[in-house]
Amino acid sequence: MKRWMMGVAAWLLLATPVLALDVVATSPSMGALVRAVAPSAQLTVLAGPDRDLHALQAKPSMIRALRGADLLVAVGAELEMGWLPAASASAANPDILPGREGYFEAAAQVPLLDVGGPADRAMGDVHPAGNPHVDLDPVRMAQVAEALGARMARLDPGNAASYRANARRFAETVEQRLPQWQAELAGAPGAVLYHRDAVYLLERFDVPLLGTIEPVPGVPPSGRDLRALAGKLSGRDGVIIHAPHHSPKGPRKLGRELGWPVEPLPLSPPVNADGDGYLQHIDRWVSAIAGA
Amino acid sequence: MNQPLVRGALLGALLTPAAAVTAGDADIDALRAELDAMRSQYEGRIRALESRLSDAEQAAEVARQAAGADALSLPMTAPRVLRSQGQATGQVPAGSRSAGLFDAVTSGTAFNPQISVILDGNYYQDDTEDGNGAALVGEAFQAGGGYGHDHDHGADGHAHADGGHAHAVAEPGFNLRSAELYFSATVDPYFDAASYITVSGDGDVTLEEAYFQTRSLPYGLRVKGGKFLSDFGYINNQHPHQWDFVDQNLPYLNLLGFHGIQDTGVQLTWLPELPVYTLLGAEALQGDQEVFGATLGETEQTELNLGDTDSGPRLFTAFAKVAPELGRNHALQIGVSYAHATQHQAMETHTHMVETHADEHAHEEDHAHEDEHAHEEEHAHEDGHADEHMHVHTDGITEELHETGLAGDADLWGIDLVYKYDAPGAYGQGDFTFQSEYLRSSKDLTIRSSAHPERIGSNRTYTTDGLYAQATYGFLPKWKAGLRYDILGLTNKVSGGRSESFGSSDRWTANVTWNLSEFSQLRAQYAYNDILVGEDEHGEEREQFSAFYLQFLMSLGSHGAHEF
Repeated sequence: MKRWMMGVAAWLLLATPVLALDVVATSPSMGALVRAVAPSAQLTVLAGPDRDLHALQAKPSMIRALRGADLLVAVGAELEMGWLPAASASAANPDILPGREGYFEAAAQVPLLDVGGPADRAMGDVHPAGNPHVDLDPVRMAQVAEALGARMARLDPGNAASYRANARRFAETVEQRLPQWQAELAGAPGAVLYHRDAVYLLERFDVPLLGTIEPVPGVPPSGRDLRALAGKLSGRDGVIIHAPHHSPKGPRKLGRELGWPVEPLPLSPPVNADGDGYLQHIDRWVSAIAGA
Repeated sequence: MNQPLVRGALLGALLTPAAAVTAGDADIDALRAELDAMRSQYEGRIRALESRLSDAEQAAEVARQAAGADALSLPMTAPRVLRSQGQATGQVPAGSRSAGLFDAVTSGTAFNPQISVILDGNYYQDDTEDGNGAALVGEAFQAGGGYGHDHDHGADGHAHADGGHAHAVAEPGFNLRSAELYFSATVDPYFDAASYITVSGDGDVTLEEAYFQTRSLPYGLRVKGGKFLSDFGYINNQHPHQWDFVDQNLPYLNLLGFHGIQDTGVQLTWLPELPVYTLLGAEALQGDQEVFGATLGETEQTELNLGDTDSGPRLFTAFAKVAPELGRNHALQIGVSYAHATQHQAMETHTHMVETHADEHAHEEDHAHEDEHAHEEEHAHEDGHADEHMHVHTDGITEELHETGLAGDADLWGIDLVYKYDAPGAYGQGDFTFQSEYLRSSKDLTIRSSAHPERIGSNRTYTTDGLYAQATYGFLPKWKAGLRYDILGLTNKVSGGRSESFGSSDRWTANVTWNLSEFSQLRAQYAYNDILVGEDEHGEEREQFSAFYLQFLMSLGSHGAHEF
């Protein structure tokens, strides 16, 4: 009798993985989402919030992290394409390659903006698949969280209920916070971005995008570009926002000419952020835009 | 009968329903969770539908505006990314595997491979007399000679005839080094494959690489097969457009040739799951090399009594790379590599100037090249060596060309170190890289044929090493400066039956690279070269010259992802 019970216990232990999921997130926003959904997961975040996810280079440390990962959480839609395909191919870990259960792309879970358009690099570093920067829209991120919860539930059925419940909780928190953000941003005059990296946030709260510092994606502005932008926007109100990896020169020059505030804001929360950290990050963006 | 078994079965049958009853609470929880999941699923779907609706409205608006503003400005539109309902919400019934759910959103290649073309051209000038500086840096003097093919030694500096192979040696003026065509794709769930084809400015087509690589082997193993650049060292597996300098460093260029170890064979790598990045690998390669492990043509093999080219594989490599964890913004990798060529053949030539006047007296000799001297005898060989050429000059001086055939094997050691810092600045500002490698080549050969029969069977070990160290720094957004020092022949000697040590060649190179975008680069490069061209008992023959490059690199097509 006792031996039989021990057998069942052993079977249960074997059936439910005792080890936490080993997750690699490309950016701190994705890391925050992973922490919100699976607080006990073993998480590695590959890039800091002050680095351009599009211009990163594959490094041996990334390959090492990917080697043993159960799940790779990327922003996707070609944002990380300069380094992630090389790093994940070198990691010799078939489980996390695109097409497998261990590969999760946020952009594949939600509808994208800027889809289509001419595939012509005279227009800069364009990505006709759509704008990949979905991580600044809290509503899309709530959808991504639920999809991530579902994915983690498949990978680790033993904790499925907890992943789903955590994802639901995160989505509910976003829903609760939405009216407050909407109220704060109601009637915001608009923002000038350096790159079209916050369009999802602006679109979510109906804040007008007044222009971009770079004339086309991936190309820094010339003096003439800035003068044209200043001419177009003179007399209006707004705020200029750029990421820390963008040169502050152009934004500052435009800010001086227009008399607008210039806010350097990272696209991602701090590396150690969890779900709350992500919401605080949205708070920062909302108050920067509202402060125009 | 089998009493315990029957009893066990009965017990099991009785206990199963009991277990189900006790698990009732858990079931209710599970049901509740499932209901929650369903609710969230529907909410998610509604949200997704709402946002799709708004997207559609927006897209229609954009299209209307675009059509109104400039109907001609939409030359090509990538297919809109279609997502199934389940994908949009991320909720898929457990157990089903809808295709595409785990995929990446891409611009879509619809089964076509990723294609890119890289154009690499330059303007070159140097201040050598013949304008052959770019060829000279690849012919720096090394004990035992460099190129194994019938290399046109010295007679005419311009003729770069190593086996008729097209080389991208810059000549003064404009050069189109290559148009490099790169195709890559995932073949099926088991293989990736790629091919690189270069077309030189003269229209010569070279298959640089064509290989497959496994993608689903367990235990961190990967196998590569085909023709590929070896992972020996660090810079060896980089194509010229990936170099930080226009030209290859002296040790690689002279000890391995322009293409490095580029050969046909198989590679096995193992990336064990360790807290520190560690990659171990080994390769078996055919051994069709220009310099290291080179074999001569059939005619020469017969003439010089070297024997046939052995059947492959004749070249084996092993390498290990380790990278300590230095945080997100720093990367350091240290590697050790070894290569062994089971067969290496070389031919050495030296010229004797012999006066052949009727009133013969002590003749004067002049060695145009290294080695095998001490001549008392008049080189009148009755044994009828096929490798002897006579040129009778009008002034009665006979020029004799003696060829010595050597055969054996060769070893190559390499140590590499790479450090990269990723700075927070815009467009690479503040980024810093340091890269250094040391190579040591040692050829253990035996004389198989000589104009001096007593030397046959004598051993010659030729050792030449080299080092390069280079650094780049992003001094402005999109602007990068580079500095390189490279030297060949810190050790440059022959030992065995004859011992002699030779001098070294070195070079300082500085350049500035302007990355206008991710897809285009312009580069200006200056180098001061001090190249040892030859050495004999009369002393060293050196060429000291400056060389200047202006280079453009244009990348057409898909975004390439570069490895570390």
